[in-house]
Amino acid sequence: MATVKSFREIFGKTLVEIGKENEDVVLLDADVKSSTKTVYFERVFPNRFFQIGISEQDLISTAAGFAIAGKIPIASAFAVFMMRAWEQIRNTIARDNLNVKLVATHSGFSDFMDGSSHQSFEDIALMRVLPNIGVVVPADGYSTKALLKQIVEKEGPFYMRLGRDYAKKVYEDEELKLGKAEILREGEDVFLIACGFMVSAALEVAEKLKGKLSIGVADFHTIKPFDEKNLLKIAKKSNLIVTLEEHSIYGGLGSAVAEILSEKMPMRVLRIGTTDFGRSSRDYLSLLDVYGLSVDKITKRILEVV
Amino acid sequence: MSESLSSLQLNEKLKRMLSNVNNFHLNSSITCLEILKAVLARKREEDVIILSKGHSAPAFYVLLSELGFLSEEDLESFADLEGLPSHTIKGLPFIEVSSGSLGQGLSVANGIALASRLQGKKRSIYVILGDGELDEGQIWEAAMTSSHYKLDNIIAIIDRNFKQLSGETEETMRKEPLADKWKAFGWEVFEIENKAEKLLETLFKLDKVKGKPKVIIAEWKT
Repeated sequence: MATVKSFREIFGKTLVEIGKENEDVVLLDADVKSSTKTVYFERVFPNRFFQIGISEQDLISTAAGFAIAGKIPIASAFAVFMMRAWEQIRNTIARDNLNVKLVATHSGFSDFMDGSSHQSFEDIALMRVLPNIGVVVPADGYSTKALLKQIVEKEGPFYMRLGRDYAKKVYEDEELKLGKAEILREGEDVFLIACGFMVSAALEVAEKLKGKLSIGVADFHTIKPFDEKNLLKIAKKSNLIVTLEEHSIYGGLGSAVAEILSEKMPMRVLRIGTTDFGRSSRDYLSLLDVYGLSVDKITKRILEVV
Repeated sequence: MSESLSSLQLNEKLKRMLSNVNNFHLNSSITCLEILKAVLARKREEDVIILSKGHSAPAFYVLLSELGFLSEEDLESFADLEGLPSHTIKGLPFIEVSSGSLGQGLSVANGIALASRLQGKKRSIYVILGDGELDEGQIWEAAMTSSHYKLDNIIAIIDRNFKQLSGETEETMRKEPLADKWKAFGWEVFEIENKAEKLLETLFKLDKVKGKPKVIIAEWKT
């Protein structure tokens, strides 16, 4: 069985590495540092850590100021609460194309205990619609580290979406590239296109259906700019595309895929994701099951369709 | 600062400029003229001006033309497709951040001030706010941040013209007691008349105040 790491632990630890490599990097927090693990950065670089308080709008615009002055600010908060500052992201960070890195944690169902107010299924859609800003959703601990380093190195605004803890191992030591999808498994009947934690679920589904269906799996960790070339390559050899995301089927990865395919290579696309708000639960996996995102439920759904 | 045009003449120039665009934000530009004039006169190379009330762009353009940054043709192009944008955007002289959406300038100023402190750069950051703009909750989030970090190089100037889009500020959403609010947030408050000489005098004076951000409430008297 694959090992499980924590998205936020990896995020916090990688921040310390990044901080050592680049002294222009500063961290801004909205009083969630112990939950997001940005506290690890604060411990090593107290002078480059700025507490802004429980005020996400101020957090985002202050980060804009740091970027204007030549720093590389990383602003971090829970995904759903960062969206409170959508208009600040739109009108200042995206419009002025500022070098701000937004890292949202606790996305999707990953904050299972806190329930519907803390879970977020709309943030990819809200960020994807904005010009200039890149949108990245890593699948596991390894890719969180690799892609976080890349968005900090690359000039321009980025939104990175992380889960809280449950990060099942997908990668060993592959060379991941921002903007380029990873084909993890080849298949002929169905191709699963996933992002975030759902990539590991997709791999398990493909394994489960081995012998019955030939299933390919791809990790589209960069949702914007979208790797159109690889999508079309996959679409050409598949009968059915299934998108998997811990996000609404409206406006997220599934929509991005359907938009491109309907224009360039019309074919059937099954979008698996959420259409509701979520609820509280004592554990993550049973919550995913309730909303049809467990390995069993996804498998069942695919068998119903093919 | 050019001595060539009096306040009255600048007013006339502003009115002419806006006469064929349905007097676009004319009143809030008129009351912002003296403030911008004083700030532009006081500003040193390394200082930053943030026009948080971006709708006063016309006043800013008139003064930029006085300083030789814009031509008469530029002024005539106001809000035209290829002309000067109706609200200030990044890329214009002295404009570091686009505005137009209210309530964000003070937070941006805090970010610049904190970054400058890290860089060991001494600079003042002037933030021009509207009194109607103070309805935005983010202003008060940012006011807490400036005060918490003792950003004494932040100088906010409120264009206290008692007007906002729906009418009188005190009827639309009461601002008073305004000075007390800022004091309670830990700011040094200066209440003066909105006149360039008075503003300049205050801008010199407030340099002596250390350890806290400063706000000038510039009252417009008709």
